[in-house]
Amino acid sequence: MGHGPAGSSVTTFANEMNPYGETIQEHFRHPRNYGSLDEPDIRHEDVNPFCGDRVRIEVSLAPDETVREARFEGDLCMIAKAAGSLLTEMITGLPVERIGEFGERDVIEALHAEIGPARRKCATLPLEVLQAGVNAWRQGRSA
Amino acid sequence: MSHETFELMDRLRRDGSRAAMATLVRTAGTTPRKEGTKMFVGDGGSIFGSVTIGGCVDARVIEHSGEVLKASSPRLLSLQLGDEEAWEIGLSCGGAVDVLVEPLTEPTVQLYAIARSEWQAGRSVGLATVIAGDEVGAHLLIDADGKVRGSARAELAETLAREVPRMLGSSATSRTMTYGSSDVYIEILRAPATLVVFGAGAVAIPLVAFATALGFQTVVVDGRPRFASRDRFPDAGEIRVGIPSAVAEELKLGRTTPVVLLAHDYKIDLPVLKRALAGDAPYIGLLGSRRRGAAILQMLREDGVPEAQLDRVRVPVGLDLGGETAAEIALSIVAEIVAVMHGRNGAALGGKRP
Repeated sequence: MGHGPAGSSVTTFANEMNPYGETIQEHFRHPRNYGSLDEPDIRHEDVNPFCGDRVRIEVSLAPDETVREARFEGDLCMIAKAAGSLLTEMITGLPVERIGEFGERDVIEALHAEIGPARRKCATLPLEVLQAGVNAWRQGRSA
Repeated sequence: MSHETFELMDRLRRDGSRAAMATLVRTAGTTPRKEGTKMFVGDGGSIFGSVTIGGCVDARVIEHSGEVLKASSPRLLSLQLGDEEAWEIGLSCGGAVDVLVEPLTEPTVQLYAIARSEWQAGRSVGLATVIAGDEVGAHLLIDADGKVRGSARAELAETLAREVPRMLGSSATSRTMTYGSSDVYIEILRAPATLVVFGAGAVAIPLVAFATALGFQTVVVDGRPRFASRDRFPDAGEIRVGIPSAVAEELKLGRTTPVVLLAHDYKIDLPVLKRALAGDAPYIGLLGSRRRGAAILQMLREDGVPEAQLDRVRVPVGLDLGGETAAEIALSIVAEIVAVMHGRNGAALGGKRP
Protein backbone atom coordinates (compact mmCIF):
# COMPACT_ATOMS: atom_id res chain seq x y z
CA MET A 1 0.00 0.00 0.00
CA GLY A 2 1.58 3.24 -1.07
CA HIS A 3 -0.44 5.71 0.96
CA GLY A 4 0.74 8.45 -1.35
CA PRO A 5 2.05 8.97 -4.85
CA ALA A 6 4.80 6.58 -5.85
CA GLY A 7 8.12 7.71 -7.29
CA SER A 8 11.80 7.06 -7.01
CA SER A 9 13.68 10.33 -7.35
CA VAL A 10 15.22 11.77 -4.20
CA THR A 11 14.78 15.45 -3.53
CA THR A 12 15.83 16.87 -0.21
CA PHE A 13 15.80 20.29 1.31
CA ALA A 14 19.54 20.22 0.83
CA ASN A 15 19.37 20.28 -2.94
CA GLU A 16 15.95 21.83 -3.44
CA MET A 17 15.91 25.54 -4.30
CA ASN A 18 15.62 27.45 -1.05
CA PRO A 19 12.60 29.79 -1.26
CA TYR A 20 13.32 31.60 2.00
CA GLY A 21 16.81 33.05 1.61
CA GLU A 22 20.14 32.58 3.27
CA THR A 23 19.30 33.79 6.78
CA ILE A 24 16.46 31.35 7.31
CA GLN A 25 18.43 28.49 5.81
CA GLU A 26 21.47 29.24 7.96
CA HIS A 27 19.48 29.50 11.21
CA PHE A 28 17.44 26.41 10.35
CA ARG A 29 20.52 24.34 9.68
CA HIS A 30 22.56 25.77 12.55
CA PRO A 31 20.09 27.09 15.10
CA ARG A 32 21.58 29.25 17.81
CA ASN A 33 20.54 28.76 21.44
CA TYR A 34 18.76 25.50 20.69
CA GLY A 35 18.19 23.40 23.80
CA SER A 36 17.20 23.98 27.40
CA LEU A 37 18.44 25.62 30.60
CA ASP A 38 18.82 23.93 33.98
CA GLU A 39 16.94 26.46 36.08
CA PRO A 40 15.31 29.07 33.88
CA ASP A 41 13.45 32.00 35.38
CA ILE A 42 11.00 31.98 32.48
CA ARG A 43 9.78 28.84 30.80
CA HIS A 44 6.86 28.66 28.44
CA GLU A 45 5.63 26.26 25.76
CA ASP A 46 2.84 26.44 23.22
CA VAL A 47 1.73 25.14 19.89
CA ASN A 48 0.34 26.29 16.60
CA PRO A 49 -2.88 24.30 16.87
CA PHE A 50 -3.16 23.83 13.14
CA CYS A 51 0.26 22.81 11.87
CA GLY A 52 1.62 21.34 15.11
CA ASP A 53 4.68 23.58 15.45
CA ARG A 54 5.38 23.40 19.16
CA VAL A 55 8.07 25.44 20.86
CA ARG A 56 9.42 25.80 24.38
CA ILE A 57 11.31 28.95 25.29
CA GLU A 58 13.46 29.29 28.39
CA VAL A 59 15.13 32.41 29.73
CA SER A 60 17.42 32.99 32.66
CA LEU A 61 17.78 36.51 34.02
CA ALA A 62 20.70 38.36 35.55
CA PRO A 63 20.13 40.13 38.92
CA ASP A 64 19.42 43.36 37.02
CA GLU A 65 16.70 41.53 35.05
CA THR A 66 18.48 41.51 31.78
CA VAL A 67 18.34 38.32 29.73
CA ARG A 68 21.45 36.31 30.66
CA GLU A 69 20.62 33.29 28.52
CA ALA A 70 17.78 32.23 26.25
CA ARG A 71 17.08 28.81 24.79
CA PHE A 72 14.40 27.39 22.55
CA GLU A 73 13.45 23.83 21.65
CA GLY A 74 10.78 22.25 19.49
CA ASP A 75 9.90 20.22 16.42
CA LEU A 76 9.61 23.21 14.14
CA CYS A 77 9.36 24.07 10.49
CA MET A 78 12.14 25.95 8.76
CA ILE A 79 10.71 29.42 9.39
CA ALA A 80 9.73 28.81 13.02
CA LYS A 81 13.10 27.31 13.87
CA ALA A 82 14.98 30.17 12.24
CA ALA A 83 12.72 32.65 14.05
CA GLY A 84 13.42 30.96 17.40
CA SER A 85 17.13 31.08 16.72
CA LEU A 86 17.13 34.75 15.74
CA LEU A 87 14.79 35.80 18.53
CA THR A 88 16.90 34.24 21.26
CA GLU A 89 19.94 36.01 19.83
CA MET A 90 18.07 39.32 19.68
CA ILE A 91 16.91 39.29 23.31
CA THR A 92 20.11 38.12 24.97
CA GLY A 93 21.49 40.98 27.04
CA LEU A 94 18.30 43.07 26.83
CA PRO A 95 16.21 44.09 29.85
CA VAL A 96 13.33 41.64 30.15
CA GLU A 97 10.85 44.50 30.00
CA ARG A 98 11.97 45.28 26.45
CA ILE A 99 10.70 41.88 25.23
CA GLY A 100 7.17 43.21 25.21
CA GLU A 101 8.18 45.82 22.67
CA PHE A 102 9.02 43.28 20.00
CA GLY A 103 6.46 42.75 17.28
CA GLU A 104 5.85 40.73 14.13
CA ARG A 105 7.76 43.25 12.02
CA ASP A 106 10.94 42.81 14.08
CA VAL A 107 10.92 39.07 13.56
CA ILE A 108 10.13 39.27 9.85
CA GLU A 109 12.87 41.82 9.33
CA ALA A 110 15.37 39.63 11.15
CA LEU A 111 14.47 36.70 8.90
CA HIS A 112 15.39 38.74 5.81
CA ALA A 113 12.69 37.11 3.70
CA GLU A 114 9.27 37.61 2.27
CA ILE A 115 6.93 35.68 4.54
CA GLY A 116 3.44 35.29 3.09
CA PRO A 117 0.33 35.56 5.27
CA ALA A 118 -0.03 31.79 5.43
CA ARG A 119 3.37 31.44 7.12
CA ARG A 120 3.31 34.53 9.36
CA LYS A 121 2.24 32.38 12.30
CA CYS A 122 5.34 30.22 11.82
CA ALA A 123 7.52 33.31 12.09
CA THR A 124 5.79 34.79 15.11
CA LEU A 125 5.13 31.66 17.17
CA PRO A 126 8.42 31.82 19.14
CA LEU A 127 7.85 35.52 19.92
CA GLU A 128 4.27 34.89 21.06
CA VAL A 129 5.41 32.05 23.30
CA LEU A 130 8.24 34.15 24.72
CA GLN A 131 5.97 37.10 25.47
CA ALA A 132 3.39 34.83 27.08
CA GLY A 133 6.19 33.41 29.23
CA VAL A 134 7.33 36.88 30.27
CA ASN A 135 3.75 37.83 31.16
CA ALA A 136 3.36 34.68 33.27
CA TRP A 137 6.68 35.41 34.99
CA ARG A 138 5.62 38.97 35.72
CA GLN A 139 2.27 37.83 37.13
CA GLY A 140 3.97 35.18 39.23
CA ARG A 141 6.32 37.73 40.66
CA SER A 142 3.56 40.16 41.59
CA ALA A 143 1.30 37.48 43.09
CA MET B 1 -1.86 -16.84 28.02
CA SER B 2 -2.56 -13.54 26.44
CA HIS B 3 -4.79 -10.52 26.86
CA GLU B 4 -7.45 -12.64 25.16
CA THR B 5 -7.71 -14.73 28.34
CA PHE B 6 -8.51 -11.66 30.39
CA GLU B 7 -11.12 -10.51 27.92
CA LEU B 8 -12.78 -13.92 27.97
CA MET B 9 -12.80 -13.82 31.78
CA ASP B 10 -14.43 -10.38 31.66
CA ARG B 11 -17.16 -11.75 29.44
CA LEU B 12 -17.58 -14.70 31.77
CA ARG B 13 -17.93 -12.36 34.75
CA ARG B 14 -20.64 -10.42 32.92
CA ASP B 15 -22.33 -13.71 32.11
CA GLY B 16 -22.36 -14.48 35.83
CA SER B 17 -22.35 -18.25 35.54
CA ARG B 18 -20.18 -20.85 37.24
CA ALA B 19 -17.70 -22.05 34.66
CA ALA B 20 -15.05 -24.53 33.69
CA MET B 21 -11.76 -23.31 32.24
CA ALA B 22 -10.17 -25.42 29.52
CA THR B 23 -6.51 -24.76 28.71
CA LEU B 24 -4.49 -26.22 25.87
CA VAL B 25 -1.44 -27.40 27.84
CA ARG B 26 0.43 -29.64 25.40
CA THR B 27 0.47 -30.04 21.63
CA ALA B 28 2.05 -32.55 19.25
CA GLY B 29 2.07 -32.50 15.46
CA THR B 30 0.08 -29.93 13.55
CA THR B 31 -2.34 -28.02 15.74
CA PRO B 32 -4.26 -24.87 14.88
CA ARG B 33 -3.67 -23.14 18.19
CA LYS B 34 -0.79 -22.91 20.62
CA GLU B 35 -0.32 -23.82 24.27
CA GLY B 36 -2.13 -21.45 26.57
CA THR B 37 -5.23 -21.08 24.43
CA LYS B 38 -8.34 -21.13 26.59
CA MET B 39 -12.03 -21.81 26.44
CA PHE B 40 -14.54 -21.10 29.20
CA VAL B 41 -17.73 -23.11 29.44
CA GLY B 42 -20.45 -21.79 31.74
CA ASP B 43 -22.90 -24.08 33.49
CA GLY B 44 -25.69 -22.05 31.94
CA GLY B 45 -24.55 -23.00 28.43
CA SER B 46 -22.36 -20.02 27.58
CA ILE B 47 -19.11 -20.67 25.71
CA PHE B 48 -16.26 -18.17 25.38
CA GLY B 49 -13.14 -18.87 23.33
CA SER B 50 -12.00 -22.19 21.88
CA VAL B 51 -9.04 -24.53 22.24
CA THR B 52 -9.02 -25.37 18.53
CA ILE B 53 -10.58 -23.56 15.62
CA GLY B 54 -13.73 -25.59 15.70
CA GLY B 55 -14.43 -29.25 15.13
CA CYS B 56 -14.94 -32.17 17.40
CA VAL B 57 -12.23 -31.40 19.96
CA ASP B 58 -13.99 -28.28 21.16
CA ALA B 59 -17.20 -30.25 21.30
CA ARG B 60 -15.60 -32.89 23.50
CA VAL B 61 -14.11 -30.27 25.79
CA ILE B 62 -17.53 -28.70 26.18
CA GLU B 63 -18.97 -32.11 26.99
CA HIS B 64 -16.31 -32.80 29.63
CA SER B 65 -16.70 -29.32 31.12
CA GLY B 66 -20.16 -30.18 32.37
CA GLU B 67 -18.81 -33.26 34.12
CA VAL B 68 -15.89 -31.32 35.61
CA LEU B 69 -18.26 -28.76 37.04
CA LYS B 70 -20.48 -31.47 38.45
CA ALA B 71 -17.54 -33.27 40.09
CA SER B 72 -15.75 -30.02 41.05
CA SER B 73 -12.41 -31.57 40.15
CA PRO B 74 -10.02 -30.99 37.25
CA ARG B 75 -9.50 -33.41 34.39
CA LEU B 76 -6.71 -33.74 31.82
CA LEU B 77 -7.97 -34.75 28.38
CA SER B 78 -5.70 -36.21 25.69
CA LEU B 79 -7.37 -35.76 22.34
CA GLN B 80 -6.49 -36.56 18.75
CA LEU B 81 -7.07 -33.55 16.58
CA GLY B 82 -9.33 -34.11 13.60
CA ASP B 83 -8.48 -37.80 13.19
CA GLU B 84 -11.77 -38.67 11.60
CA GLU B 85 -11.75 -35.70 9.29
CA ALA B 86 -8.10 -36.29 8.40
CA TRP B 87 -8.93 -39.85 7.40
CA GLU B 88 -12.02 -38.81 5.50
CA ILE B 89 -10.17 -36.26 3.37
CA GLY B 90 -7.26 -38.61 2.78
CA LEU B 91 -4.69 -37.39 5.30
CA SER B 92 -2.86 -39.72 7.65
CA CYS B 93 -3.35 -37.92 10.92
CA GLY B 94 -3.83 -34.52 12.57
CA GLY B 95 -2.04 -33.43 15.72
CA ALA B 96 -2.73 -34.30 19.32
CA VAL B 97 -3.50 -32.01 22.22
CA ASP B 98 -3.75 -32.22 25.99
CA VAL B 99 -6.42 -30.02 27.47
CA LEU B 100 -6.78 -29.37 31.18
CA VAL B 101 -10.39 -28.74 32.13
CA GLU B 102 -10.87 -27.38 35.64
CA PRO B 103 -13.58 -25.66 37.60
CA LEU B 104 -12.85 -21.95 37.71
CA THR B 105 -12.63 -21.23 41.43
CA GLU B 106 -12.46 -17.87 43.16
CA PRO B 107 -8.78 -18.27 44.21
CA THR B 108 -7.90 -19.02 40.57
CA VAL B 109 -9.84 -15.98 39.37
CA GLN B 110 -7.95 -13.87 41.92
CA LEU B 111 -4.59 -15.18 40.73
CA TYR B 112 -5.51 -14.25 37.16
CA ALA B 113 -6.56 -10.80 38.36
CA ILE B 114 -3.12 -10.34 39.92
CA ALA B 115 -1.50 -11.63 36.72
CA ARG B 116 -3.52 -9.10 34.77
CA SER B 117 -2.52 -6.17 36.94
CA GLU B 118 1.15 -7.20 36.71
CA TRP B 119 0.81 -7.46 32.92
CA GLN B 120 -0.89 -4.09 32.68
CA ALA B 121 1.93 -2.62 34.74
CA GLY B 122 4.37 -3.91 32.14
CA ARG B 123 5.72 -6.87 34.15
CA SER B 124 6.01 -10.46 32.89
CA VAL B 125 4.72 -13.32 35.05
CA GLY B 126 4.35 -17.10 34.89
CA LEU B 127 1.24 -18.97 36.01
CA ALA B 128 1.97 -22.58 36.97
CA THR B 129 -0.80 -25.20 37.03
CA VAL B 130 -0.28 -28.78 38.17
CA ILE B 131 -1.89 -30.91 35.46
CA ALA B 132 -0.81 -34.42 36.45
CA GLY B 133 0.66 -36.20 39.48
CA ASP B 134 0.37 -34.75 42.96
CA GLU B 135 -1.83 -31.70 43.64
CA VAL B 136 -3.57 -31.59 40.26
CA GLY B 137 -5.30 -28.24 39.84
CA ALA B 138 -2.95 -26.29 42.14
CA HIS B 139 -2.05 -22.84 40.78
CA LEU B 140 0.95 -20.67 41.52
CA LEU B 141 1.75 -17.23 40.16
CA ILE B 142 5.45 -16.40 39.93
CA ASP B 143 6.95 -13.06 38.97
CA ALA B 144 10.34 -12.23 37.50
CA ASP B 145 11.82 -11.77 41.00
CA GLY B 146 10.74 -15.25 42.06
CA LYS B 147 7.89 -14.06 44.27
CA VAL B 148 5.30 -16.85 44.50
CA ARG B 149 1.59 -16.39 45.09
CA GLY B 150 -0.93 -19.22 45.52
CA SER B 151 -0.62 -22.49 47.37
CA ALA B 152 1.23 -25.71 46.60
CA ARG B 153 3.74 -27.84 48.43
CA ALA B 154 6.88 -25.95 49.45
CA GLU B 155 9.26 -28.02 47.38
CA LEU B 156 7.37 -27.29 44.16
CA ALA B 157 6.99 -23.60 45.02
CA GLU B 158 10.72 -23.30 45.62
CA THR B 159 11.53 -25.03 42.34
CA LEU B 160 9.19 -22.77 40.40
CA ALA B 161 10.53 -19.68 42.16
CA ARG B 162 13.88 -20.55 40.58
CA GLU B 163 12.72 -21.85 37.19
CA VAL B 164 10.05 -19.37 36.16
CA PRO B 165 12.18 -16.21 36.50
CA ARG B 166 14.74 -17.99 34.29
CA MET B 167 12.03 -18.63 31.68
CA LEU B 168 10.81 -15.04 31.91
CA GLY B 169 14.33 -13.79 31.33
CA SER B 170 14.71 -15.88 28.17
CA SER B 171 12.57 -16.28 25.07
CA ALA B 172 10.86 -19.37 26.56
CA THR B 173 7.22 -19.90 25.69
CA SER B 174 4.42 -21.54 27.67
CA ARG B 175 5.09 -25.26 28.17
CA THR B 176 4.55 -28.29 30.36
CA MET B 177 7.46 -29.33 32.60
CA THR B 178 7.91 -32.26 34.99
CA TYR B 179 9.09 -31.48 38.51
CA GLY B 180 9.39 -34.54 40.76
CA SER B 181 6.04 -36.26 40.83
CA SER B 182 4.11 -33.43 39.14
CA ASP B 183 3.58 -32.32 35.56
CA VAL B 184 3.27 -28.55 35.66
CA TYR B 185 1.99 -26.39 32.85
CA ILE B 186 3.66 -22.97 32.97
CA GLU B 187 1.88 -20.18 31.17
CA ILE B 188 4.15 -17.31 30.32
CA LEU B 189 2.51 -13.92 30.19
CA ARG B 190 4.90 -11.46 28.63
CA ALA B 191 4.65 -7.77 29.34
CA PRO B 192 2.62 -6.29 26.50
CA ALA B 193 4.26 -4.44 23.66
CA THR B 194 3.55 -0.71 23.65
CA LEU B 195 2.70 0.82 20.31
CA VAL B 196 3.84 4.42 20.19
CA VAL B 197 2.08 6.53 17.58
CA PHE B 198 3.43 9.95 16.68
CA GLY B 199 0.77 12.05 15.01
CA ALA B 200 -2.84 11.98 16.19
CA GLY B 201 -4.47 12.34 12.78
CA ALA B 202 -7.23 10.33 11.13
CA VAL B 203 -5.24 7.11 10.60
CA ALA B 204 -4.08 7.08 14.22
CA ILE B 205 -7.64 6.70 15.53
CA PRO B 206 -8.39 3.26 14.02
CA LEU B 207 -4.75 2.23 14.46
CA VAL B 208 -4.96 2.71 18.21
CA ALA B 209 -8.34 0.98 18.36
CA PHE B 210 -7.05 -2.03 16.40
CA ALA B 211 -3.83 -2.22 18.42
CA THR B 212 -5.76 -2.11 21.68
CA ALA B 213 -7.98 -4.97 20.55
CA LEU B 214 -4.83 -6.94 19.75
CA GLY B 215 -3.46 -6.50 23.26
CA PHE B 216 -0.98 -3.71 22.68
CA GLN B 217 -0.65 -0.91 25.14
CA THR B 218 -0.74 2.34 23.24
CA VAL B 219 0.73 5.81 23.51
CA VAL B 220 -0.40 8.64 21.25
CA VAL B 221 1.91 11.63 20.87
CA ASP B 222 1.12 14.98 19.27
CA GLY B 223 1.90 18.60 19.93
CA ARG B 224 -1.70 19.60 19.41
CA PRO B 225 -4.11 19.01 22.30
CA ARG B 226 -7.03 19.36 19.93
CA PHE B 227 -5.85 16.27 18.06
CA ALA B 228 -4.35 14.23 20.88
CA SER B 229 -7.49 14.18 22.99
CA ARG B 230 -9.35 11.53 24.98
CA ASP B 231 -12.43 12.20 22.87
CA ARG B 232 -10.58 11.10 19.76
CA PHE B 233 -8.65 8.27 21.43
CA PRO B 234 -10.88 6.70 24.07
CA ASP B 235 -8.91 3.43 23.95
CA ALA B 236 -5.41 4.89 24.16
CA GLY B 237 -3.42 3.84 27.20
CA GLU B 238 -1.65 7.17 27.31
CA ILE B 239 -1.96 10.46 25.46
CA ARG B 240 1.08 12.71 25.46
CA VAL B 241 0.81 16.31 24.32
CA GLY B 242 4.20 17.90 23.93
CA ILE B 243 7.17 18.33 21.66
CA PRO B 244 7.10 14.93 19.90
CA SER B 245 10.87 14.41 19.77
CA ALA B 246 11.17 15.37 23.45
CA VAL B 247 8.43 12.88 24.29
CA ALA B 248 10.24 10.25 22.20
CA GLU B 249 13.33 10.84 24.32
CA GLU B 250 11.36 10.38 27.53
CA LEU B 251 9.61 7.21 26.33
CA LYS B 252 12.86 5.29 25.76
CA LEU B 253 11.80 3.42 22.64
CA GLY B 254 13.08 -0.13 23.14
CA ARG B 255 12.59 -3.76 22.12
CA THR B 256 8.93 -3.87 23.12
CA THR B 257 7.88 -0.55 21.63
CA PRO B 258 6.96 -0.60 17.94
CA VAL B 259 6.84 2.95 16.63
CA VAL B 260 4.63 4.45 13.92
CA LEU B 261 5.09 7.97 12.59
CA LEU B 262 1.86 9.33 11.16
CA ALA B 263 2.52 13.06 11.42
CA HIS B 264 3.48 13.26 7.74
CA ASP B 265 5.46 16.36 8.62
CA TYR B 266 9.23 16.48 8.26
CA LYS B 267 9.69 18.75 11.25
CA ILE B 268 8.34 15.94 13.42
CA ASP B 269 9.38 12.90 11.38
CA LEU B 270 13.06 13.82 11.27
CA PRO B 271 13.78 14.35 14.98
CA VAL B 272 11.49 11.53 16.08
CA LEU B 273 13.04 9.09 13.59
CA LYS B 274 16.49 10.04 14.82
CA ARG B 275 15.54 9.25 18.36
CA ALA B 276 13.69 6.04 17.45
CA LEU B 277 16.65 4.80 15.40
CA ALA B 278 18.99 5.41 18.33
CA GLY B 279 17.02 2.79 20.30
CA ASP B 280 16.11 -0.76 19.39
CA ALA B 281 12.43 -0.51 18.57
CA PRO B 282 11.37 -3.70 16.73
CA TYR B 283 9.33 -1.79 14.18
CA ILE B 284 9.61 1.76 12.87
CA GLY B 285 7.01 2.71 10.27
CA LEU B 286 6.80 6.05 8.49
CA LEU B 287 3.68 7.26 6.71
CA GLY B 288 4.41 8.61 3.26
CA SER B 289 5.20 7.74 -0.32
CA ARG B 290 8.44 6.12 -1.45
CA ARG B 291 9.56 9.49 -2.78
CA ARG B 292 8.91 11.29 0.48
CA GLY B 293 10.44 8.44 2.44
CA ALA B 294 13.59 8.56 0.31
CA ALA B 295 13.89 12.31 0.93
CA ILE B 296 13.48 11.93 4.69
CA LEU B 297 16.02 9.10 4.79
CA GLN B 298 18.43 11.14 2.71
CA MET B 299 18.22 13.98 5.22
CA LEU B 300 18.94 11.56 8.05
CA ARG B 301 21.83 10.12 6.04
CA GLU B 302 23.29 13.59 5.58
CA ASP B 303 22.88 14.05 9.30
CA GLY B 304 25.14 11.06 9.94
CA VAL B 305 22.60 8.30 10.66
CA PRO B 306 24.25 5.01 9.56
CA GLU B 307 22.81 3.11 6.59
CA ALA B 308 22.10 0.03 8.68
CA GLN B 309 19.85 2.12 10.90
CA LEU B 310 18.04 3.69 7.96
CA ASP B 311 17.21 0.21 6.65
CA ARG B 312 15.02 -0.27 9.71
CA VAL B 313 12.53 2.39 8.60
CA ARG B 314 9.50 0.91 6.88
CA VAL B 315 8.28 3.44 4.34
CA PRO B 316 5.70 3.34 2.87
CA VAL B 317 4.33 1.91 6.08
CA GLY B 318 2.07 -1.17 6.16
CA LEU B 319 1.29 -4.26 4.14
CA ASP B 320 0.03 -4.05 0.58
CA LEU B 321 -3.68 -4.53 1.23
CA GLY B 322 -4.79 -2.04 -1.38
CA GLY B 323 -7.03 -0.01 0.93
CA GLU B 324 -7.34 3.76 0.94
CA THR B 325 -9.51 4.71 3.90
CA ALA B 326 -8.04 5.62 7.28
CA ALA B 327 -9.22 2.32 8.75
CA GLU B 328 -7.82 0.32 5.83
CA ILE B 329 -4.45 2.04 6.12
CA ALA B 330 -4.48 1.46 9.89
CA LEU B 331 -5.26 -2.21 9.29
CA SER B 332 -2.34 -2.56 6.89
CA ILE B 333 -0.03 -0.95 9.48
CA VAL B 334 -1.15 -3.02 12.43
CA ALA B 335 -1.00 -6.18 10.30
CA GLU B 336 2.60 -5.41 9.39
CA ILE B 337 3.44 -4.79 13.05
CA VAL B 338 1.93 -8.12 14.08
CA ALA B 339 3.87 -9.90 11.32
CA VAL B 340 7.14 -8.26 12.34
CA MET B 341 6.59 -8.99 16.02
CA HIS B 342 6.09 -12.66 15.11
CA GLY B 343 9.06 -12.70 12.76
CA ARG B 344 6.91 -13.17 9.65
CA ASN B 345 6.75 -11.28 6.38
CA GLY B 346 2.99 -10.86 6.18
CA ALA B 347 2.57 -12.73 2.90
CA ALA B 348 -0.64 -14.60 2.09
CA LEU B 349 -0.61 -18.05 3.74
CA GLY B 350 -2.01 -19.61 0.58
CA GLY B 351 0.70 -18.00 -1.49
CA LYS B 352 -1.86 -17.02 -4.15
CA ARG B 353 -1.93 -13.76 -6.05
CA PRO B 354 -5.03 -11.97 -7.33
